Amino acid sequence: MKNRLRVLRAEKDWTQAQLAEIVGVSRQAIIAVENGKYDPALPLAFKLARAFGKTVEEVFIWEADSLQER
Amino acid sequence: MSDLDPAMSGRNSLQPTGALLGILCVAMAIDVGAGWLLGRPGFGSRVRIILALLPIPANLLLVTVIVRRIRQLDEFLQHVHLEAIAIGFLLTVLAVSVYEDLQKAHVVGSLKIGILWIFMAAFYGIGYFIAARHYR
Repeated sequence: MKNRLRVLRAEKDWTQAQLAEIVGVSRQAIIAVENGKYDPALPLAFKLARAFGKTVEEVFIWEADSLQER
Repeated sequence: MSDLDPAMSGRNSLQPTGALLGILCVAMAIDVGAGWLLGRPGFGSRVRIILALLPIPANLLLVTVIVRRIRQLDEFLQHVHLEAIAIGFLLTVLAVSVYEDLQKAHVVGSLKIGILWIFMAAFYGIGYFIAARHYR
């Protein structure tokens, strides 16, 4: 699964630490999600999307093939 | 910046707090004290059983506090710690198994239970390093 977290965060001019504080997770979690190393569970995905005023589908892009890339 | 609740997951670190360290120190002191008393003669069998079971409450409290702390972590850190624990557990099983074989080969002496804790802590540390690095 790919995501637009880095781009959206840059648009808002937020640091990873700021975004982490907004959604209530660690900075490591934001780094892992941004780098595509970790796919968040639905509650965190919704919180991240809401933080940017977007839907989950606008932030996270499901690509079946990306599972095989790991 | 947002209407979202920032306090979703509480603490996002397993770094020991003063309370946790305090309970750990008390538990260790009771462990060591009970062990020391059990090594001395002059106690009846009932007292020895009580002494042997004495460390249980403090250690159960320690387990409870650690589990609570893990539950306060965010989902990602829980994931990392779960992997670390799995790696640590499996490496400990492997190490004990190898040690047992070395014992049968008369290369090493009997394994002390206290050493197992050191094995587990060391392998948990290795597991955490591997898991944290994987998701970096």
